Amino acid sequence: MTDSTSPVSTPPDPAAQRQRASQLAQALRQALSKALIGQSSIIDDVLTALIAGGHVLIEGAPGLGKTLLVRALARCFDGSFARIQFTPDLMPSDITGHAVYDLTTEQFKLRKGPAFTHLLLADEINRAPAKTQAALLEVMQERQITLEGRALPVPQPFMVLATQNPIEQEGTYPLPEAELDRFMFKLYIDYPSEEDERLLVRQVTRSTRSDMLDIIPLRPLLQAKDILAMQKIAAELTVDEQVLDYAVRLTRATRQGAGLALGAGPRASIALIRGARARALLRGGDFVLPDDIKQCALPVLRHRVRLSPELEIDGLSVDRLLRQLLDQVPAPRL
Amino acid sequence: MRLTDSQAVIRPRSPWEALDLGVHLARTHAGILFKSWALLTLPLLALLTLLLWDYPSLVFLLFWWLKPLFDRLPLHVLAQGLFGDTPSVRQALQAYLRLAKGQLIASLTWRRFSLQRSFLLPVQQLEGLSGTPRLTRVRLLTQHSSRTARALTLIGVHIELALYLGGLGLVYLFIPAQMVEQLDWFKLLDVEAHGLLWIEHLTNLIYALVLLIWEPVYVACGFTLYLNRRTILEGWDIELAFRRLRQRLLGTAYALVLASCAGLLSIQPVPALADEETAVCPLPPSESSGPDTPRLLNQPLTSEAARQQIKAELEKPPFRNEEKHLEWHFGHNSSQTSSSQDLTLPGGLLWFIRHTAQLLEVMLWTLLGLGLLWILWHYRAGLSHFIPRTRKARPVVHVMPEHLFGLDVTPESLPADLPAEVERLWPTHPREALGLLYRGLLSRLLHDFQLPLREAHTEGEILSLGEQRIPAETQRYLHEVTRHWQGIAYGHRLPSTEAMKALCASWRALFATKARA
Repeated sequence: MTDSTSPVSTPPDPAAQRQRASQLAQALRQALSKALIGQSSIIDDVLTALIAGGHVLIEGAPGLGKTLLVRALARCFDGSFARIQFTPDLMPSDITGHAVYDLTTEQFKLRKGPAFTHLLLADEINRAPAKTQAALLEVMQERQITLEGRALPVPQPFMVLATQNPIEQEGTYPLPEAELDRFMFKLYIDYPSEEDERLLVRQVTRSTRSDMLDIIPLRPLLQAKDILAMQKIAAELTVDEQVLDYAVRLTRATRQGAGLALGAGPRASIALIRGARARALLRGGDFVLPDDIKQCALPVLRHRVRLSPELEIDGLSVDRLLRQLLDQVPAPRL
Repeated sequence: MRLTDSQAVIRPRSPWEALDLGVHLARTHAGILFKSWALLTLPLLALLTLLLWDYPSLVFLLFWWLKPLFDRLPLHVLAQGLFGDTPSVRQALQAYLRLAKGQLIASLTWRRFSLQRSFLLPVQQLEGLSGTPRLTRVRLLTQHSSRTARALTLIGVHIELALYLGGLGLVYLFIPAQMVEQLDWFKLLDVEAHGLLWIEHLTNLIYALVLLIWEPVYVACGFTLYLNRRTILEGWDIELAFRRLRQRLLGTAYALVLASCAGLLSIQPVPALADEETAVCPLPPSESSGPDTPRLLNQPLTSEAARQQIKAELEKPPFRNEEKHLEWHFGHNSSQTSSSQDLTLPGGLLWFIRHTAQLLEVMLWTLLGLGLLWILWHYRAGLSHFIPRTRKARPVVHVMPEHLFGLDVTPESLPADLPAEVERLWPTHPREALGLLYRGLLSRLLHDFQLPLREAHTEGEILSLGEQRIPAETQRYLHEVTRHWQGIAYGHRLPSTEAMKALCASWRALFATKARA
């Protein structure tokens, strides 16, 4: 869709369109996996969120390539990209923007903040206090920022990719529930496998530069309107009633299941279906399968539920409990 | 003991005032008390420390345990001192050797933990009572002052603790500041491993010094509490008043008798008799008139006989009062039933009451048991946290589910000729036809290949499960059927009739050969 034979001008053939979109997504995935070695599932999830029009929260220990992934994505995508390093003294207006008095014109001028962009990387979001984290609430949900009483839309597509260090570390503030719920996915980035780590070390040490992005030349593969088109195509994929029912049942199971103090809200069911559609597109499928739902379930649900205190004391992780829950909810059939 | 010799003013006091008197008494005799106590306890501590150098805690325990034994020494000193006969340190220690033997085992075992230890010590040591007479005496004495006696012991525990910690603090203050900084406190916790036994022996010594200060005071307080109780019980103050009266009036009485004799002899009356009543005669020597003197033993009424009579008299009222109590008893033994014979209840009623009571008892115990069970059941989740979890390796028995995905997957529920049935359904109900085929395949996987399928498995998971367990040919077929099934179920796409026929043919080829084999 980057070339001139854009589907906008030719009579649209849904199947061909889907195929193009799927190919584009595959190309993007390959480019990213060259930059971020050994984290293919994370790349899949980030692309899923991009196609589904959701935001992603990536958590992991420092040095696992969280920021690298987002920067690589920004480089593959010919749109604007802004990065905010969250610090304890960051103010909300540092994100959204503010009015400045211009001495020459003797007028107030709006100075738009870094949030007016396509891809927003909120690096180490939990290093800023809740006041600053809350500055993202409006823009994440409504895709607009209210400055001086005027609602200004942010460019489309808009995606927030936030990274955070595990809460247990020093000097971090946990994200509020409302903020967490606005993230479509929460991804855990884990250490790469031995094989992948070997490859990574070899590639990085061969060069004099320490940055992976300088080593792997990435070129822009798609533009803002391509992503919008992909989002549109994904939103039109067929979802059978059974599959929809499965997603809702999964979400509801978190509310009834023992061991969870707080279950997931309806946003989770919505995110499941949207994520599954995007995943189906990424897979190259024409319709959504229960497998797509199941694969999205963990990243969608894990930040929307809270473990009951007893299990937390027992040291059980949310992921383990959710896996048990997934094993109990019957998959759709006939 | 002569009350007139008492150094303290004898009058009825409140128990707390009596304790105050004890502190005063201890202060009066402080020198001898502390000296004798130190001479008794410190060498013993030294001996114990030498013998049990490696077990400082045991030394402490032994020393603490022997406290009632040490208490006898200050009590002896105080009892003698109260009536003006304060012994010297040597005398006290000599007397102690004799005192230490009496009722040793009782003092160090069951009476060791009595909270009224110092209050009741005089009963045993000064009155020399033991056994039942002691018990009766104790019962009488403890009717009023026992609360104060217990409080005294508890206060004593706290004073000891405070002084002990104070002593430790004092030692700590003497450590130079730069040494404190280098001090490894955790090392002190495990003194035995670091050869720091002397520290514990030092703390033992501090405890011994604390006792040196407090224990004589404690004994003195118990003693005065005891004295006060006896003053009230036996009316010592009244006796003392009478004695004083006697002392004051005796001389006058003699003078009166003499004067009246003189008056009788010389009829002339002396005009001013009262002027001569100033002379006071000394008391007659009491020792010479004791009941054991030979003069009195040879009388027709001997002291022995008198004693017998007194004893007999004491057994009668008003010295001994018998009361009759009427109580309800269950007829456990014949003696008790006979004593409660005066309850004239009809036999049937007694029987009824007895059995109702037994029934009630059984019910109450059952209720208690059920209550306990209910509590255990109700809090089982909470209690399970306290039970260490041992993961038992359960034998892996894969029970084949009969119903999977809400469908019957037993081989019996499927038609005998599955492909024929599928082909029959295909023109009218394609979805059902493909569903039947998929179901049949799942049933095959479940029973022929023992695939551990569960309800939560999606089609994709079944495919990946099958990858390791089923032969390649069946795998390909499974892929094909799954693809078509997913298409019709979730994508609403009909496969072509040719594809359907091919699927049925493959089924026949795959499972017919299997059946034959």
